[in-house]
Amino acid sequence: MNNSHTITHRQLFFIIVQSQIGVGVLSLPYTLFAKAKTDGWMSLLLAGLFIQISILAIWKLCEMYPKQTIFDFMPKIVGTKLGVILNTLFVLHLFSVCVVLLILYNSIVSKWIFFQTPRLVVISILAFTCVYCITCTAREIARFLMLVSPLLLVLFIFVAYAYTDVHLLYAFPVGATGIKTILSGSTDALISLLGFDTALVFLAYTQGKSNSKLKVISYASLCVTLFYCFVTFTTYIFFNPVEIVIVPEPVLYMLKAFSFKILERTDLIFLSIWIVFVTTSLISYLFFTAKGVQSLFKLKHHKTAAPYVGVICALIASIPASKIDVQLWSKLIGMSALCCSALFPIFLLLIAVIRKKKEKGAVST
Amino acid sequence: MTFFKKPRKLLEQKNTSNEDKIQESSPSSQTDSVNTSHSLQDANSKQNQSIDDLLKDIEKSFSSSEDLMTHWIEMPADKSRVALIFLNSIIDKQKLQDLILNPLFELDKDIDLHTFEKVINIDFKQQTDFSKIQELILQSYTLIFTKDTTCYYSVFTPVKTERDIKEPDNEAVIRGSHEGFIESMSTNIALIRKRLKSPKLVVKYLQVGKETHTNVAMLYMSDIANPDVLHEVERRIKAIEADSVMTPGNIEESIEDKTFSLFPQTLSTERPDRVAANLMEGRVALLYDSSPTVNLAPVNFFVFYQTPDDYNKRWMLGSFYRMIRLFSFYIAIGLPAFYIAIVSFHFEVIPSALILLMKSSLENIPYPPLFEALVMELTIELIREAAIRLPTRIGSTIAIVGGLVIGDAVVKAGLISNLMIIVVATTAIAAYTVPSNEMSLAVRLLRFPFMVAAATFGFLGIVFGLILMFFHLCRLYSFGTPYFAPLAPFKIGDLKDTIIRLPFFKMNSRPSDITPIKKDEDNHTRKWDKS
Repeated sequence: MNNSHTITHRQLFFIIVQSQIGVGVLSLPYTLFAKAKTDGWMSLLLAGLFIQISILAIWKLCEMYPKQTIFDFMPKIVGTKLGVILNTLFVLHLFSVCVVLLILYNSIVSKWIFFQTPRLVVISILAFTCVYCITCTAREIARFLMLVSPLLLVLFIFVAYAYTDVHLLYAFPVGATGIKTILSGSTDALISLLGFDTALVFLAYTQGKSNSKLKVISYASLCVTLFYCFVTFTTYIFFNPVEIVIVPEPVLYMLKAFSFKILERTDLIFLSIWIVFVTTSLISYLFFTAKGVQSLFKLKHHKTAAPYVGVICALIASIPASKIDVQLWSKLIGMSALCCSALFPIFLLLIAVIRKKKEKGAVST
Repeated sequence: MTFFKKPRKLLEQKNTSNEDKIQESSPSSQTDSVNTSHSLQDANSKQNQSIDDLLKDIEKSFSSSEDLMTHWIEMPADKSRVALIFLNSIIDKQKLQDLILNPLFELDKDIDLHTFEKVINIDFKQQTDFSKIQELILQSYTLIFTKDTTCYYSVFTPVKTERDIKEPDNEAVIRGSHEGFIESMSTNIALIRKRLKSPKLVVKYLQVGKETHTNVAMLYMSDIANPDVLHEVERRIKAIEADSVMTPGNIEESIEDKTFSLFPQTLSTERPDRVAANLMEGRVALLYDSSPTVNLAPVNFFVFYQTPDDYNKRWMLGSFYRMIRLFSFYIAIGLPAFYIAIVSFHFEVIPSALILLMKSSLENIPYPPLFEALVMELTIELIREAAIRLPTRIGSTIAIVGGLVIGDAVVKAGLISNLMIIVVATTAIAAYTVPSNEMSLAVRLLRFPFMVAAATFGFLGIVFGLILMFFHLCRLYSFGTPYFAPLAPFKIGDLKDTIIRLPFFKMNSRPSDITPIKKDEDNHTRKWDKS
């Protein structure tokens, strides 16, 4: 691996944060509310705990095979042939994640900004931008993701402005829905927290001590969980429980109500900033995908794969036409993503550990 | 240069080691570092030719150009003939008379041909390399051939065609030095040396252009500049293979990292104080023959927004105006786009009090906002371009006709809304606040794609445009150093002289993006305050 491609801990932190915060932030409170009512924010915290297990698994895998991406060490763990199959499946899963990101982005944009614009156009401009962005090294991507991170503060301030008009009583009674519903709500929360799995490729480029890498990823995931929790909780105490059911993007509706002397529709500005975060998550996932395609087809550089990946994703993403289709696709892909990103690393780690033990046993006997 | 009428007493014998020292300190030593092209074929075989044959050969190699002059002089001592050869057009005849002819004729009878160089002057050199003849003549040397055909003599007699040192028009400052570079490389180096009286300031001469033989001088501080960067700059300049290298732009384009980028990757300036300050940060300066422009590399984006004025203001004011300039970057690229996006897509963003105002201004305009903006922006560029080409006296007329008359008439005729005039004028002014001309041009051109993006996708288009632009800045390098440092990669310590300017006693380390080998900068200027 070339020395000039490495990234620092700080950059890794922002990569994880930027990949995790994405499309989900707008509609998350609504989807959580559908399951866990006003206790949705607790489901979110639980989900944050669950993904810590996956993060541990990812970190352990990358520690066992340093300076290698998942595509490099997969054949080493499960054998060459099975490795290729699993790699292919994993790349397909990454493709599907990119597609669902594009679909959800399009559904929001067409609902809030462009009502008439063809799907393919709206999706293509995002895909084109991202393809340009991933035709470089991980280091430059990391620099960019870090550069746009101060925008998170702007998002935070926008949401925090809601506290001028909140009613804490809306959040009570806490925990009334029972642990079961809170738990079932956390699966939905997990999907929106996905993005930490990009560590599977970016950890390979990170320099420095292994322990601090784990710390960095965990902190990143903690920050995102808390931020999401803050957003969700704010919307729950801003809208009363009857209202939330009818607003699918509570954050935007909340901002729409604010108007300043110099700015009337805050939600449009918020959306513009939100698009940056959609772009950053798509950049890291597309980079991940392009790396996967590179290793599958044994390309010299992932640059060659980037345009094809972008075009394929954009074309597939413009297929679902109706709202129901979009919901179906995002649900299916969400579940499969949950399995591949959160559960699969744990299984992979188990296999790797067993294999290592066996090898050790074979050596000692 | 000193002239003397009476010859000095002759030294006993020629002392070669002494001679070498003199050669090194003379400005003509620059030719030593240069690779000569062997255009006179079989140079060494010439060594034993007679003078007449040799001169004929030289004449032939210059295609019998009529400004190539040959003068024959008869030595009084032994009646032997001496030939002077030079290019009439590029030598100073007065100097030739004073430095060569007068001393020669005032020589005593006992002068020996082999030692007469001793009496003449510091620029006088004995040469044995016959392949260099052509090059020396082209560099304003006068060559002297004697009957001794193993060697010849050269005297540096350049004609002085320099203008006075003036403040550069496009980089004027309110306070501070008003000196600017001129078209003479040695004067320019002198202007820099005057500011950096340090033995660590190194000058390295390179030559590019097979026909033009353009001299390039590379200046750097040997204890600060990173050897890797130096090596890279030198490697790229040496790799230039071209017949003619006429302007600094040629070299700039040949050595920059990405030619397909709007952003300049070397800083050109005509201010010696700016060069000196940048040399002290570890950058490399490139000076060119007969060009007042000096290029500095490696640079980052924020260097283009610094001016020597910042350091002569109180630091808070300096920071304030630095921020104004950086803010103007956004205005210059984004304001027309933002306006277009609002009036064509997002009318809802404007507060209700303003809506009526905008509506009334826009209602009777027959054209879409993009067209309006394009027309006005192009008009401004037109006026600007015309104002540069026209003589200064007519230039002000153009400004009045263009700016006032067209602007007023266009609004009255109902072609363009008056809000658009405000937007376009503000944008034009914002683009001129950039202290560097290249960056100002880049910014002016950038606004057009943003306008088109805004007209097609509204805010979305602007956001994607900004993402693409910032990503481009993130992946741009200047001689291997990140271009958008210290923001990407983020270094909080280096922000002290980019977005803001901290007081001097806080600037105790050099910016790390240029990877100087000496990181610490001694700026403890307020030690008296510590007690």
